[in-house]
Amino acid sequence: MLTQTSLNRILYGSRGFRIRVPISSCTLAAGAGEVYRKVIKVVEEHGVDAEVYRVGCTGLCFMDPWIELAREGLPPAIYGNVKTEQIEHIIKNYSEGDLSEATAVRFKTGSGGPPALEEVDFWRYQVRYVSRNCGLVDPESIYDYIETGGYLGLKKALYMKQEEVIEVIKTSGLRGRGGAGFPTWLKWKIAYEQKNDVKYVICNGDEGDPGAFMNRLLAESDPHRVLEGLIIAGYAVGATRGIIFVRAEKPLMADRLEKAVEDARKLGFLGKNILSSNFNFDVEVYRSAGAFVCGEETALIAAIEGRSRPRQRPPYPATHGLWGRPTVINNVETLAHVATIFQTGVEEFVKHGTEKSRGTKMFCVTGAVKRTGVYEVPIGTKIKTLVFDLAGGSIEGRKVKAVQIGGPSGGCIPAELMDLEMDYESLQSYGAIMGSGGLVVIDDSNCMVDVAKFFTSFTLAESCGKCLPCRVGMRHLSDLLERLTSGEASLEDIEVAQELGESIARSSLCALGGTAPNPILSTLRYFKDEYVEHVVNRRCPAKVCAKLVKYSVDPALCRGCTQCARVCQVGAISGSPGEVHRINYDICIKCGQCLIACPFGAIKKV
Amino acid sequence: MVKVYVNGVEVEVPPGVPIIEAVEKAGYRVPVLCYLNDFFSEATCRLCVVLVNGRVVPACKFPVSDGAKIVTESRELDTYRRMNFQLLLSTHRIKCWSCLRKTSCSLLDLSKQLNLGEFPVCSECPLTGDDCLVAKGEPCLGPLTAAGCSAECTRNGVPCLGCRGYIEDPELWRDSMRDLYEKHGVDGEKLEAAAKFFWSFLPGELKKIISEVSRDK
Ligand SMILES: Cc1cc2nc3c(=O)[nH]c(=O)nc-3n(C[C@H](O)[C@H](O)[C@H](O)COP(=O)(O)O)c2cc1C
Ligand code: SF4
Ligand code: FES
Repeated sequence: MLTQTSLNRILYGSRGFRIRVPISSCTLAAGAGEVYRKVIKVVEEHGVDAEVYRVGCTGLCFMDPWIELAREGLPPAIYGNVKTEQIEHIIKNYSEGDLSEATAVRFKTGSGGPPALEEVDFWRYQVRYVSRNCGLVDPESIYDYIETGGYLGLKKALYMKQEEVIEVIKTSGLRGRGGAGFPTWLKWKIAYEQKNDVKYVICNGDEGDPGAFMNRLLAESDPHRVLEGLIIAGYAVGATRGIIFVRAEKPLMADRLEKAVEDARKLGFLGKNILSSNFNFDVEVYRSAGAFVCGEETALIAAIEGRSRPRQRPPYPATHGLWGRPTVINNVETLAHVATIFQTGVEEFVKHGTEKSRGTKMFCVTGAVKRTGVYEVPIGTKIKTLVFDLAGGSIEGRKVKAVQIGGPSGGCIPAELMDLEMDYESLQSYGAIMGSGGLVVIDDSNCMVDVAKFFTSFTLAESCGKCLPCRVGMRHLSDLLERLTSGEASLEDIEVAQELGESIARSSLCALGGTAPNPILSTLRYFKDEYVEHVVNRRCPAKVCAKLVKYSVDPALCRGCTQCARVCQVGAISGSPGEVHRINYDICIKCGQCLIACPFGAIKKV
Repeated sequence: MVKVYVNGVEVEVPPGVPIIEAVEKAGYRVPVLCYLNDFFSEATCRLCVVLVNGRVVPACKFPVSDGAKIVTESRELDTYRRMNFQLLLSTHRIKCWSCLRKTSCSLLDLSKQLNLGEFPVCSECPLTGDDCLVAKGEPCLGPLTAAGCSAECTRNGVPCLGCRGYIEDPELWRDSMRDLYEKHGVDGEKLEAAAKFFWSFLPGELKKIISEVSRDK
């Protein structure tokens, strides 16, 4: 669909030389703002005939900030982790045809030199279907989006009947990317069949999972794709209005979406008689205060209405949603998929994925890996491909112990099960969830009880408090984990945790309570020995739980330099210069300062 | 009308009504606490959970659907109801000895219905306020003893000796019990002596409460 001429125009721009600088929340945090200014300065000062081009992010966070230089006749070259002082040098060398310092090139001409993207691990296992434009086009330019085939999908859809549009999504087999994997066509069909003069479609851009940002990345880098999907959804169900729900603490995402809406309206993709089709539809970006629970669809609707708690379903939003009207709620990525399916045709989409779950999914890999980032891979990809091939595996000297999949209420899958092919069903049967696609890699320096405690305290804080099991049950689970990590729990407590966790999961009102015990249940399932160790021997095998570790001086290594005694805030360390020092456990508060201070590695955690 | 099966019993109810109506029509009962018909039906307490086609749902809110198979009793449901009831109690400051709602308390009714035995003899004792034997300084074990005897002794002015054994989970009521004994200056040693009559073994929690009362004296 993207012709070579269009691709060249996008790659090199009208002047034949484009320098891409990613401007998005994550790259800005990594210093892309200074890089951008510096690139402009260098280009001006040296009279380089290049266009400094703002793009979104590729999702390769580990090389932020990066820049890409593309001059006609040369392969576009990507430079990772650039510092402002290198920029002059990079531009000069590239202009002279010296690409040797590039991290990778988009495609290769000839042999030698930096690897092409299709040769490097962090790229070649990916299938960039919805994220195809991320890092390639200017997210604030509707013309660039159109150049890549944008709004062609909408045009195709508007030529069809509403039922036909739903049928296309049905044959694609697209399932919701927001967590539960509900078939998108079915949701649309139910809403379509409702007799009501007002219907709504909502794009769920809440994304409250800590450590997950694929929706933000997609919407900041290619906002028109999300919008196009929303318009198609609106047409399919017969809605008059669309709402894009974004957290106020993601201002750039909201700004870019707002700009996209304005530009689309100017060009007639929104408003009355869209593309002369009798279809009237408009979209508004709704900025909300953030709460994890607001991502839940009934809570999200309530938030727009001015309340904020989930309610028991049914009735489902598709029949009884915003202001009591039929409402379709879809995730950012789901809608971007919709637009792309109409642009590329269903065949392109169904090429990837599994029998039950077609297509690709963006996963956000963070934690103890070499290359954190957002990677788009076919559904059914093995966990190990994501963790080891794409993200590069654990940091030197460490071993991957588990992967927490599905956000704070996902589950921990142990390293032995890395061969698992990730789809909605398989993850669930192993105690995790797809969620929005966040993967936190946990290495052997972590204590699994402590990990469970961390996630449990997050969901406890985010519980809306409406229903009893989640409100009170999670507090008890959290207290219990606190006791476990302090060595004050009994074996009976572990059984209580199991029973209580299952009870909360099964009897809570919404899916927050329904999934919140996952971290504790999955760690109990795969790492029970660690729990037992905390109780029976009052020992934390990973030496993480502060109350269960002791600091002691190794007499063989101690040279009596007195460093430790000087940093100890409570005066727990005694010893004269040149003699082996001693820690008084009655006074020690286990702050660990001495461990950091000792130049000889004589202080040990035991 | 739609047809549903409650524990295998076929009943007909209007479409869209909450499952609880079908359950009652079929002659079964489920514990209900937060549901107040039209006034409040937000399904927040989750005590009324039943199984519909294998899924756990609240009977007070979940609508019937044609042919639905509803199960109201199972080991699984029993666990969830008990769990949730205990969670509820864990946040409830129990003060049956001075509570005016004692004679019309839905929590107490539920405790009996779920056969939980979590409440003290005080919940059945007609004496409240100044009439309470503890308030009169007597070493009455009513606040520490499992209910179920209809408080025969205290009804007749005799302090409770704890013949039914101590309540199951003293942790739940600890603060309230201590406050009560302390407020009325009941002597810890006398309490301990009374407790020894039937309770050769005292769980640590109770022991602590009693000794805390003595120590404060
Ligand atoms: C606690 C909680 C948080 C959620 N957060 C999000 C979110 O941030 N984004 C999202 O798209 N869906 C979220 N969901 C799922 C939504 O309820 C809903 O299923 C989804 O938006 C439907 O879109 P889809 O069919 O396209 O996946 C959340 C659900 C729960 C229970
Ligand atoms: S499960 Fe938790 S978040 Fe959901 S309604 Fe109940 S209290 Fe609120
Ligand atoms: S009675 Fe409270 S949830 Fe049904």
